Amino acid sequence: MATLQSWIEFILALGAPVFVPFIMIVVGLFARMKLKEAVSAALTLGVAFIGMNIVVGFMMDSMGPAARSFAQNTGIQLNIIDGGWTSLATLAWAWPLAFFMFPLQLGLNILMLITKQTNTLNVDLWNVWGKILTAVLVLGVSGSIPLAFIVAGLQVILELKLGDVNQKHIYRLTQIPGVTSTHSMTLFGIILYPLNRLFDYIPGLNKHIDANWLKEKIGVFAENHVMGFIIGGLLGLFASYSLQETLLLGVQAAASLTLFPMVAKLFMQALAPLSDAVSEFMRRRFSGRELHIGLDWPIMAGCNEIWVTAIVLVPVTLLLAAVLPGNNILPFAGIINLSLAVPALIVTGGNLLRMILLGLVTTPVFLYIATYFAPIITNLARQTNALDVPAGQMISWSTLEYPVYRYIFTQVAAGSLLGIVGAIVWLGLFSWYVKDMKKRAQAMADDQL
Amino acid sequence: MKKVIVACGSGVATSQTVASKVKKLLDQKGIQAQVEAVDIKSLDTFIKDCAVYIAITKPAKQYPVPVCNGIAFLTGVGMENELQKVIEALRS
Repeated sequence: MATLQSWIEFILALGAPVFVPFIMIVVGLFARMKLKEAVSAALTLGVAFIGMNIVVGFMMDSMGPAARSFAQNTGIQLNIIDGGWTSLATLAWAWPLAFFMFPLQLGLNILMLITKQTNTLNVDLWNVWGKILTAVLVLGVSGSIPLAFIVAGLQVILELKLGDVNQKHIYRLTQIPGVTSTHSMTLFGIILYPLNRLFDYIPGLNKHIDANWLKEKIGVFAENHVMGFIIGGLLGLFASYSLQETLLLGVQAAASLTLFPMVAKLFMQALAPLSDAVSEFMRRRFSGRELHIGLDWPIMAGCNEIWVTAIVLVPVTLLLAAVLPGNNILPFAGIINLSLAVPALIVTGGNLLRMILLGLVTTPVFLYIATYFAPIITNLARQTNALDVPAGQMISWSTLEYPVYRYIFTQVAAGSLLGIVGAIVWLGLFSWYVKDMKKRAQAMADDQL
Repeated sequence: MKKVIVACGSGVATSQTVASKVKKLLDQKGIQAQVEAVDIKSLDTFIKDCAVYIAITKPAKQYPVPVCNGIAFLTGVGMENELQKVIEALRS
């Protein structure tokens, strides 16, 4: 027994790029993958960790000094670098208990389907990482592993409920039958919904604006390399770099943003056989019943309102990051705010004006919560050796998904009274959302008769 | 080798799930092809040198190559049909 424990400690001490592949081999064999496949998938996972480490290190090395120079030059302290969702996904998968989130999500989904608490079958096994990240954040704030799993489990239940409620709204937007989105980013809709109701009192907001035309005009700015170059260039300019240095920083920033998804793809390649086997199992288990299939958010990526909203919010986010007192994050890899645009699309039914307005109002929320979580995230990155964050620097994600849920429930886990009051209010808003969105779906159905 | 592209919001998650699945299915049938997950924001660049485009979304405009329905590979409904379309596009 003592030797087993010392073995486990030995493997954990090697850091995520080694121990997560070890876990992957065990899980893969358990899911009846062939040994050869399991080893190949596990190694790909290790490569993904090392790859992300290299890109994050490169980003920190190029952006970090520029941010310091920017602070000296302007007096604005933005010492947290935004690593975007790919960095945080790396951090999430590096948690030694990460893989336990699969049985938790599957178990709760099966239980809720059997007891008819939901009609949604979530086959999106990739976004298990969102629940893992929530658990990791709860653990970072409260230190409690049971509470980490409880808050993540609650999230599984809530996203299935939202999958049910949002299904008709998503169908109206995408015209794809039988599917819904179980991505937890819909949790931010709970906060957007009351704001959108307030907008009813402002005249002129129901005007339709053609997002497709705008997307054609400004879509190029959303491409990773272009966006990276612009932000890097701007940073260099305000850091009073020379022209050569500014241009170099621009291309370096473009390289970071281009390489992030290329490397993050390796995580998916490694996990694909596993997630395939699991979703196949789930579908077979419930093949007799008419269910909505829960998928990742990109089923809505054809709605150009999402892209136009996110692009319009880029300069707003940069400006607010510079002027808001107490914000310390420099928005970069996470600047395309899909965490806002996607739930805003659902809540407003694709009303571009309202979506942008919702973004303007809630961007400070994203920035402040990203600032709050930065020391916790940086700490976790160092503990697991998942990401290479140089001493004296911090990493976070400027557009952390469902920031309010994560903030409130980490505070609850830490036993804060304010957190508990917040959670009660939040759950109240949740039930309001569910009730009203159901009513609206019903009204849409009646209209079509 | 002919290329199949799959696009999603980031070119990482959904598109790679579908790409891995399509690659596996094509391998099983002994069909050689490169299947690549790409970022939908850069679709116009990638579509130029592919034989077929698998879309996760409802395509809004006309493309110069055949377009298949990627949702089928995620839900399993109508998957064989879409796979045939991919194969035909690769053969032509």
